[in-house]
Amino acid sequence: MTSAFPFLLLPTVWAARNRARRRERGDALRVGIFGGVGFAVSVAIFAIVFWLTWQLLDYEELGDYLVRLGLSWLFLTFLSFVAFSAVVTSLSTFFLSEDLRLLLAAPVPAARLFHSRFARTLGQSGWMVVAFLLPVLLAVGLARCAPLGYYATALATVVPFVMIPTAAGSVVTLVLVNVFPARRARDILMLMGLLFAVAIVVLLRFLRPERLLSVQSLPDVTAFFATLQSPVTPLLPSFWAGESLFAALRGGADPLHLGALWTTALAFVVLARAAYGRLYLAGWSKAQEARKARFTRLLFLEGAVRRLPLPLASRALLVKDAKVFLRDTTQWSQLLLLVALALVYVYNFRVLDLDRLPYMSGVIKNAYAFVNLAMAAFVTSAVAVRFVFPAVSAEGASFWIVRTSPVGLRSFLWSKFWTGYVPILVLSVGLTVVSTRLLGVSPFLQALNAVAIVFMTLALVGLAAGMGAEHPRFDAENVTQVAGSYGGVAFMVIAVLYILVTVFGLLVWPASTWLWHEHHGIPLSPRRQLLMGLCFAAAAALSVAVSWLSMRRGVRALERLG
Amino acid sequence: MIRVDGLVKEFGGFRAVDDVSLEVPPGEIHGFLGPNGAGKTTTIRMIAGLLQPTRGRVEIAGHDLQREPEAAKRSLGFIPDRPFLYEKLTAAEYLRFHGGLFGFDGEPARERARELFELFELTRWKDELVESFSHGMKQRLVMCAAFLHRPRAVVVDEPMVGLDPRGARLIKDIFRIQSGKGVAILMSTHTLEVAQEMCDRISIILRGRIIARGTVDDLRRLADSEDAGLTPVFLKLTGGSAYQEIDL
Repeated sequence: MTSAFPFLLLPTVWAARNRARRRERGDALRVGIFGGVGFAVSVAIFAIVFWLTWQLLDYEELGDYLVRLGLSWLFLTFLSFVAFSAVVTSLSTFFLSEDLRLLLAAPVPAARLFHSRFARTLGQSGWMVVAFLLPVLLAVGLARCAPLGYYATALATVVPFVMIPTAAGSVVTLVLVNVFPARRARDILMLMGLLFAVAIVVLLRFLRPERLLSVQSLPDVTAFFATLQSPVTPLLPSFWAGESLFAALRGGADPLHLGALWTTALAFVVLARAAYGRLYLAGWSKAQEARKARFTRLLFLEGAVRRLPLPLASRALLVKDAKVFLRDTTQWSQLLLLVALALVYVYNFRVLDLDRLPYMSGVIKNAYAFVNLAMAAFVTSAVAVRFVFPAVSAEGASFWIVRTSPVGLRSFLWSKFWTGYVPILVLSVGLTVVSTRLLGVSPFLQALNAVAIVFMTLALVGLAAGMGAEHPRFDAENVTQVAGSYGGVAFMVIAVLYILVTVFGLLVWPASTWLWHEHHGIPLSPRRQLLMGLCFAAAAALSVAVSWLSMRRGVRALERLG
Repeated sequence: MIRVDGLVKEFGGFRAVDDVSLEVPPGEIHGFLGPNGAGKTTTIRMIAGLLQPTRGRVEIAGHDLQREPEAAKRSLGFIPDRPFLYEKLTAAEYLRFHGGLFGFDGEPARERARELFELFELTRWKDELVESFSHGMKQRLVMCAAFLHRPRAVVVDEPMVGLDPRGARLIKDIFRIQSGKGVAILMSTHTLEVAQEMCDRISIILRGRIIARGTVDDLRRLADSEDAGLTPVFLKLTGGSAYQEIDL
């Protein structure tokens, strides 16, 4: 038993068992939230795919063609996703994991260590794809009343399909780490991945796919499908996977493509093992080298912060946070993605052609203004969970410096608040003002949205900073882990509830009442005016209360740390 | 038992270890001293198989580390300065896993683990998660793991850090017993009193090169020093003043 590679995976299994046995406070809630969200997403995916496949049944040959094409493209998307994910994951599993120091000092044969690390990479980079494919393939199978053989084929297809890009990704990493130190390679990969994602998002958006929906562009639709059948795809595992599944869906079998999948998968694993044998130790040794620091001289930053009217301690914290942020590629590179998404978001309003509906455009525009406000607030909460929520946890093992210094925990947390609030406010107000202007809503709504987003940002940033202090993860390896933790998910749930209550519970009624009266030229009664004022005041009060109470709870939680 | 021959390690253009050779015969406790950044840990990590040398050769119990890495590592117990422990495992599970890595399992492994838990005074906590252990307890658990498979050579980096006087005494006794049984021990330390008390021979490394080797008396002669303690000898040989070694 101890000589087989799964033995090396035992600590993970034992640790999971121990964690399950020794339940901690909040574990059940955490499982409930994560499980519930996961289940809801799976059900939604299942329902959409089932409905689509069901609809395509009406189109006989065209329907078959589209299902076949859809499967092939679905797998093609996942092929690139798993390959990129495997490159990043294998950097951790093969080179940066802490337990490697123990395993490499032990007499573990190279092949055994490779297999255990490969299995771990396979699990970590492929689980999300498998979790997504499960409801999709199940829905397609049930909608098409597929035979049992389809489900067996699905299993026999997905396993080698995930193995191929994982093995290819691992080889790329082995080569990369021999060229760059592992930590630098991770930075480069993260940056490349983000730039790639930004380019794809921007490109897709500026192609304006909504044009395909208009009748005039019907020739474009046929051209669109023609381009999907690229000559390259039949040589890719995604095509083989799609073909195998499609054959099984119709009650047949496609041993050629299934065989191609398995032989390629095994060949890739053998290739990866050979590359490991040749390149691993040299790459591992290189991974131990320290990386060079960037942005080591940020004198302008210190000069700028010195001019701010802040206490000395807050200034020191601000300079430290800014420097850490700039030197961590994974942090600031995500800003690029954010900027791109914001541009796409605003661009959507530019191309939105609501004037095609002359009688309804006013109503739709005003209704859309509220959806836009809720969306902007949701973007704000997503930014806050990524950048503000982990602010306390990011102190990590260095938190003792703050705790032993003469800086109160209240000042510390408020400093984190302001560091997050100012830049996020610029983003949220910018987004809201530009989008409502492009939407062409009444000046009253434009002003209301602008004021509302200032208050909502206050609430969301306060909530993020406070809850981040209440649920710190000082041992987390990176901030993404903190944002995805139980506290992060709980923050998102509360943030969404707050947005719904504020926008649709407290702002929609008074604003639409005001617009209705203005449109019909009827003056507002004093009672209505009072009620409307109360609603606006309640929204403002709720925002201030959410922010202040969260911050207070956060400070108390920090004080309780002992 | 531990033989290092012409070991070189370069990080980019920087040579961290420069032509280091040393030999620790069975039963010897060999001290490995040097100021911070001298190349001690890099050398030790190469001996443990955690770093690939740029040049040179390491042999453990007659096995070449490059050519027969598994046989060499099977003969070695390694106690690093910053040991990795699976925090969510119990001490007993950790030892069971560690034993498995060295191909040592079943009843003999369990019996040996019981013995070591007793010896290192961890029996009461063997079923507790490692995350709840103090630094000293973790250090003792790492020692248990290092001695579990009855190694013929032990390499240890800073063994006394974080141990209370009782723990330190225990470790010293165990090292002496093990060396009495013929185990070769290479020990890197900054605690010169420990080196003076325990080591049969000492090598001093400075800027990646071995600058002195011998018994404490040999080193005293080499430094032309009359002092009884090792500290003045060390400072004289490494060219540092006392203030460089003391954080003020």
